[in-house]
Amino acid sequence: MISVTNVQKQYRDGDTTVHALRGVSLSIEQGEFISIAGPSGSGKTTLLNLIGCIDTATAGEISIDGRAVAGCGKRELAAIRREKLGFVFQSFNLIPVLTAFENVAFSLTLTGTPDAEARERTMRILDEVGLAGMEDRRPSQLSGGQQQRVAVARALVKEPTVVLADEPTANLDSRTGHAILELMVEMNRRHNTTFVFSTHDQMVMDYARRLTMLHDGEIVSDERRSA
Amino acid sequence: MKFLVRLATKNLWRYGRRTLITAAAIALGLATYVLLDSMLVGADEESVRNLIWYETGSARVMHPDYWAERERAPLRHVIEDPDSVLDALRSQDVAATPRTTFSGELIVWRDPFPEDGSLLVHVTAIDPETDGRVYRFDQWITEGRPLQAGEPGVVLGSWLAEDLGAEVGYPLIISARSRYGARVTIDAEVVGILNSPNPVINRGGIFLPLDIADLYLDMEGAVTQIDLRFADYARVEGPIAELKQLPALRDLEIADWRLLGADYIAMMEADSVGSGIILFLVFVIAAVGVSNTMLMTIFERTREIGMMRALGMDDRAIRNLFLIEAAGIGLIGAAAGILLGALGNIPMVRVGIDYSAMFRTMDAGYRSTGVLYGAWVPSTFVIAALMGVALAVIVALVPTRRALRMDIPRALSRQ
Ligand SMILES: Nc1ncnc2c1ncn2[C@@H]1O[C@H](COP(=O)(O)OP(=O)(O)OP(=O)(O)O)[C@@H](O)[C@H]1O
Ligand SMILES: [Mg+2]
Repeated sequence: MISVTNVQKQYRDGDTTVHALRGVSLSIEQGEFISIAGPSGSGKTTLLNLIGCIDTATAGEISIDGRAVAGCGKRELAAIRREKLGFVFQSFNLIPVLTAFENVAFSLTLTGTPDAEARERTMRILDEVGLAGMEDRRPSQLSGGQQQRVAVARALVKEPTVVLADEPTANLDSRTGHAILELMVEMNRRHNTTFVFSTHDQMVMDYARRLTMLHDGEIVSDERRSA
Repeated sequence: MKFLVRLATKNLWRYGRRTLITAAAIALGLATYVLLDSMLVGADEESVRNLIWYETGSARVMHPDYWAERERAPLRHVIEDPDSVLDALRSQDVAATPRTTFSGELIVWRDPFPEDGSLLVHVTAIDPETDGRVYRFDQWITEGRPLQAGEPGVVLGSWLAEDLGAEVGYPLIISARSRYGARVTIDAEVVGILNSPNPVINRGGIFLPLDIADLYLDMEGAVTQIDLRFADYARVEGPIAELKQLPALRDLEIADWRLLGADYIAMMEADSVGSGIILFLVFVIAAVGVSNTMLMTIFERTREIGMMRALGMDDRAIRNLFLIEAAGIGLIGAAAGILLGALGNIPMVRVGIDYSAMFRTMDAGYRSTGVLYGAWVPSTFVIAALMGVALAVIVALVPTRRALRMDIPRALSRQ
């Protein structure tokens, strides 16, 4: 469903070349709940960015739903992100002028979903993430945890192939972080949505059903665990 | 698109203070433009009016050979029978007055003048009865009184009088050559001083009654010109073409004020290039001011741009969003600028700006002595509004494109 084959990523930093990923191969199936873990600088963000089609690999292949990403142009990549990928960011990244409802509906506006359907789906997902009654609040009127719930709803509302979350709990206190993870587990179970999230927090890794460890740009372990 | 406009409107609200500052910069630039243009157009209109009311009339009838030699003001090429021409003109309801212009020497003596002196001049002999049908001097006689037929009186332009030290009642001599070349001397007295809105007249005008000139110069009723006034000075071609059909005018030439004032009009057009440059500078300054805040606005939202791109929003849509925001700022600025400009223009049109000291010392070419009035120019307001919006959009284009060229991960990692 998502396949990463021998992917390399090098950054040029002046005269030096940084090898952020040194040949990573990974296959992710529908419905997985996978954590990419590893120390700082090991390449987690880089890998997520490549899968998320917001960055391009130096070598290797990535395909999403059987579609190779390598040859795609800017507009095609935007279309893939719009239709197949959901993002949850470390710093929430909601649009400050829009309400919770509008932020979630934004995803559907981009895909051209008819208003009535968008409205219904948005209300339903907001209810599911526990924000019923807060639809009209702006991000500034919501706590960090609530903002991240909006972000999760925004990612899920379009029923994406995969939700990518780069350190989704790093800006939250641990209790709120747990709550967000539990929400993601719940959504994964209910909708069978694939989740890929990165972390270097042991507590967060414990939620994963598959734990892929990166070290210095290489996968050092990849294990599945029963829930 | 509807969504983009809604989002853009919300963003304008959110950055309210900055929106206002940027819009204010645009508004100021536009208001400056509107007022400057109003003043320049007003000055031009007034100059043309003053040219026509005090120097050229709407048009002039003269001998066909006169124009080529006008610099010397010869008495050789004249209208022999002005009365038949005047009758013909009267039958057409055209306001007209005969005049004779001749060159001579103005001579003054110490006591009562401050010192002896002589000056080469052009003297204009006017018909006191009918001159007011074409020209408007009488109300500007600030000292003494207007000319009267039959008396050897002289009216002097006020600056000339001041330079000579002349006052009402002073005697002076005009030495000239008659129509047949005889040297003649006219003993005259200053009866009035003319302080008109036309600086050329004030600086060099010397007026004498026509019958006196006729007598001394042996004109035998002939005059050098008959000056005309039409109802609308902007449309002179039609009336002139009609007058040319009159038998009495068949052998004469008719020149309109554009030709009579050609030197001056050329100067005015050269001036308008200069004012175009000034207006351009106003816009460059406004653009620099606006581009700065626009740059900051967009730079500050780099992460937001990165997020919208990550969610799959097209670069073009994002660019449009920012350009719509810019256009919104431009629109607010244009509205405020036009309002400000219109409000500022009211006193400019009604009260004017007093430049008299400046015009006295400097020959700017404008036929205006003092108070300049603004003008209402609707096209300026339209241009200003369009320019305001265009300015904001153009200025937003560069930073927006730059933000969109940045790669998404980098934009997202911006604080
Ligand atoms: N734009 C870039 N230019 C140069 N080097 C980069 C760039 N982005 C990442 N790197 C380098 O690539 C390596 C991997 O970075 P990456 O951000 O993927 O690590 P990470 O595992 O997400 O780290 P962290 O836990 O700190 O977020 C690091 O050595 C980093 O310095
Ligand atoms: Mg990272």
